[in-house]
Amino acid sequence: MRDKSSLDKLKKGQRAIIVDLNSNDIPAKFYEMGFLPGTEIEVKHIAPLNGPICLNIIASNSLIAIRKSEAKVIIIDPK
Amino acid sequence: MNNPIIALLGNPNVGKTSLFNRITKLNQKVGNYPGITVEKREGSLTANNKTYKIIDLPGTYTLFPNSLDEEVVFNILVDQKNKFKPNLIVVVGEPSNLKRSIILYQQARELGLPAIFVINMIDEAKTKGIQIDIPKLEVLLKTKVYQTNARTGAGIDKLIAAFDAVPPLYIGNFDIPADYALAVGEAKKLFPLENEYSTWQYLAKGNVEFLSDEKNAALEDIRKNHKLTPQILQKQESVQRNKNLEQALSTIVSKDIDSKSVTNGIDKILLHPILGYLIFFGVLFLIFQGIYNWSGPAMDFIDTQFADLAAYVQSTLPAGPLPDLLSNGIIKGIGGIVIFVPQIVILYIFISLMEETGYMSRVVFLMDRWLRPFGLNGKSVIPLISGVACAVPAVMSARNIENSKERLVTMLVTPFMTCSARLPIYIVIIGLVIPDTKFLGFNIQGMILFALYILGILAALGSAWLLNKIIKTKHKSFLIFELPTYKFPDWKNLFLNVWDKSSSFVFGAGKIILAISVILWALGSFGPGDKFNNAEEIVKQNNPTLSDEDLDHEISSYKVEHSYLGYLGMVIEPIVEPLGYDWKMGIGLISSFAAREVFVGTMATVYSIGDDADIEDDASKRTILSKMKAEVNRNTGLPAYNLASGVSLLLFYAFAMQCMSTIAIVKKETASWKWTLIQVGFMTGLAYIAALIAYQALK
Repeated sequence: MRDKSSLDKLKKGQRAIIVDLNSNDIPAKFYEMGFLPGTEIEVKHIAPLNGPICLNIIASNSLIAIRKSEAKVIIIDPK
Repeated sequence: MNNPIIALLGNPNVGKTSLFNRITKLNQKVGNYPGITVEKREGSLTANNKTYKIIDLPGTYTLFPNSLDEEVVFNILVDQKNKFKPNLIVVVGEPSNLKRSIILYQQARELGLPAIFVINMIDEAKTKGIQIDIPKLEVLLKTKVYQTNARTGAGIDKLIAAFDAVPPLYIGNFDIPADYALAVGEAKKLFPLENEYSTWQYLAKGNVEFLSDEKNAALEDIRKNHKLTPQILQKQESVQRNKNLEQALSTIVSKDIDSKSVTNGIDKILLHPILGYLIFFGVLFLIFQGIYNWSGPAMDFIDTQFADLAAYVQSTLPAGPLPDLLSNGIIKGIGGIVIFVPQIVILYIFISLMEETGYMSRVVFLMDRWLRPFGLNGKSVIPLISGVACAVPAVMSARNIENSKERLVTMLVTPFMTCSARLPIYIVIIGLVIPDTKFLGFNIQGMILFALYILGILAALGSAWLLNKIIKTKHKSFLIFELPTYKFPDWKNLFLNVWDKSSSFVFGAGKIILAISVILWALGSFGPGDKFNNAEEIVKQNNPTLSDEDLDHEISSYKVEHSYLGYLGMVIEPIVEPLGYDWKMGIGLISSFAAREVFVGTMATVYSIGDDADIEDDASKRTILSKMKAEVNRNTGLPAYNLASGVSLLLFYAFAMQCMSTIAIVKKETASWKWTLIQVGFMTGLAYIAALIAYQALK
């Protein structure tokens, strides 16, 4: 198993499993929209110059965009 | 019960509004919820021998609100005294995201609300290879599950027949976690009549609007004593529900692993780091072109119709103050409102198309990075772009920004964007003071006009940056949004949306514009003393050789000079003199505070060329321009419109908050006189200083 990493480090096309959301500042909306421990995601698009990233939540096949700053506190296990 | 209330509840992008249109057969109206400006869509349906009231609640992912829209949903569902409290809730879901919808359903049921469940867009189950075991789902949800396709109308009748359903008793499957039982137990004492889950909801929410201050404070104390935050509680609920549902749904929903989707292919182009931006700017360019070019004929048509109507009224009714009020005050006032309808319609067709197809959220994705440094949000793009047409609908479109600070800043800076009402003034003044020559092969006048648009954008971003430093907030800025799959627009939705927005402009903002034009008419049509009342004789005596037509113009000009409006202009002359204006331009400025576009008409009256001046028409443009060009400022002895005063005037119009309708809508949307007045003061103060510096430097 590789080291745990955070979501903002993933490259386009990479998949990972969410391990935890490492902050109390993250609004509950993130959980409700599918960022839950155990969820598999794939990075679909990355906006240039530190822009938001767009993720595909594999199980529901939905596309969700979040900012890099929030991606930083989402701990993942890369595949 | 007489008029049972049925509320549609669901996530965004599940086709809820299309379903609402189907159920109500378009028998609906759009208003606001009392006191706030969240759009309320309400309709009626006669079926099953009674009339139902149908409410389309704003789309929400959760009952824990993050935005104003979501707050409304919570209040309607949970507040026992809310007058829209529904008799039955129809929770709308769609095949690919059932889990999210079911969570909403469970939350509603556990609050003690009767609800049924609908899977809309059922056709997508087949195209996406999703199988749903409906009988098993019904057992899980303890209610009937209906399947509809709002676009074709399939399944709607069956759903309507179920509106009298009394769903069986529901026992929740959310267990208050043991760690929090003590806190919830304490909170329960505050609400002896409500169930445990309602209490949990209160505790897990920040501030509950409809509870008394004491109860909110008591809840806060409980949270503090137990070291809880709403986030922790909400997270707890969300994680537990998702886990339980994941298990339960694994035997109900099955999916063929997805083939390549069309959406992904389109996104590869539209979200491309370079191509994506090029396409977006292409779309913007098309919108600009549409607003300016396509609306021309329609605006000319409206203009002539109202001018003809006014002339007809004037010629058929006997002369006197009342018919004059009707023709010059009211009809022209209404004409001044209706003339913007073509531009607003075109703008909203584009915006609705972008929303309906799913492109709008791609724009948010592309633009967030560029707006964030200014304290704005990717979602601010929509108001800012719309502001180029008109700030009124633009300010309204800021509603879906979750973060209250970003929403406020967006609304405060949007009026800096160069709206279409500034355009006629820019055209006239640029024509007067900027030479019509070429520089490096480009027309200088065109370059100045372009520079003014850039100036508007810079002013908006600059003041956003400033406000961002000043306004403090405890909410952290965040951005999370779904990019829906691309869809063909539902034309019915598009038409309704455009209709709602244009009619609310005409009737809402229209009232104010109308009132102001009546006041302006009165101030311009009456005056104290002999000079005003005997204007005709005085002018005739002074100009015995004039032809009849010129005499009429001269009289109306003399009247304006000695009307209340004229005296008002002279009173403010000392204030505008340092900016390089005379009293006539002062009148133009005063009347512009109603709406900028009034400037050209007022100038036309003041410079006595009759107030039918239509700057689209080349011949009359020349007459205003030549009259204005010949005008001499009596304070300086120089031409009234020289480079210095012209640039000063352009800057004043670029920055000043001169639009009653925008002021009214900002007050409505911010629900705060404080911010509205700060905005008016800041914009107008900036305008004054910029104009002052420009004039003093250039003169």
